[in-house]
Amino acid sequence: MKKIIVVFACVLILFCCDNKPSLQKYFIENMESSKFIAVDLDPSIIKTDKMPLSQTERAALASFEKMNILAFKTDSTNSTGYDQEIKEVKAILKDDSYQQLMKAGSGNNGAAIYFVGDDDEHIKEFVILAGKKENGFTVVRVLGNDMNPTHIINMLNLLQKSDVDLDQLKPLQQLMK
Amino acid sequence: MKNLVVVIVFLLTSTVSFSQGVFDKFEDNDEVVSIIVNKKMFEMMSKVKVNAKDKEMQQYMSLLKKLDNLKVFTTSNTKYGADMKATVNSYLKSNPLEELMRVKGDGKNVKIYVKSNANENTVRELLMFIEGANMKDANTVVLSLTGNFSLDEISMLTEKMSLPGGDDLKKASKK
Repeated sequence: MKKIIVVFACVLILFCCDNKPSLQKYFIENMESSKFIAVDLDPSIIKTDKMPLSQTERAALASFEKMNILAFKTDSTNSTGYDQEIKEVKAILKDDSYQQLMKAGSGNNGAAIYFVGDDDEHIKEFVILAGKKENGFTVVRVLGNDMNPTHIINMLNLLQKSDVDLDQLKPLQQLMK
Repeated sequence: MKNLVVVIVFLLTSTVSFSQGVFDKFEDNDEVVSIIVNKKMFEMMSKVKVNAKDKEMQQYMSLLKKLDNLKVFTTSNTKYGADMKATVNSYLKSNPLEELMRVKGDGKNVKIYVKSNANENTVRELLMFIEGANMKDANTVVLSLTGNFSLDEISMLTEKMSLPGGDDLKKASKK
């Protein structure tokens, strides 16, 4: 009898894991939807070919792989969509693998930052969720390879002084309208 | 029998986590604006390599290492404001904190509580409760900061992050 329970429990656990919603799945499911705008960015968005890069800047750039952005635009006729979708994203981010760094805002408005990684010197992924009911929300996944806090700051500095390839960001302009 | 033990353990752990986050219930409220910074964030920020010559920045970084969690809840809604006040009071009953100072004036009421370490210079927890009708953004503010830090350092931080009650805290640390 006990064995059956153990086996049952194992199956249940496996079953749960398999069906666990992940941000990856959420992105794929909604990429094609007309309510969402999806943009993928790669490091080439920062035009560095003409710039002399320091070693730290190069390391920072190398740790950064790509950025996936998924934006939900609030439908003026259907305001419940926002709450529903952001709830789904928040439920995914409640998983233990996403460690919350900080958040600010009220209710379903506001912003939050999460990271995925073994510890804070070896970060695999950053997730930024920001939204406002009237406009919509955006989920940004920054994927990388062994990112660390110093790299992030160096990246931001690099962004400030380099040219950014704005063509990659064009799809997002619809959001601003 | 075993089941009972499991249930008891479960209940215990859930009450423990509850007592740590009595204010968390305000987090997902539409009427309450909250700012939460977790220990990981402070850790991560403190690991950024900064210019060694920048004394102020160095000081700032060393403080970040000492912080655990920062939670700020503000509301203009009177109902939730009253709820916050009640929560603060019940929290103080179950977790005795020392009253560090109390300021009343300009229509606002500021109370600052601390949990000190054995040596008096450092603080484990700081709880600030502000209420007042004529404040800019909110009528009620609850600020909770945990870690292991000194009050002088904190007034520097509240100034840098322009958190509510920074001025009052500065006065408190000068005492």
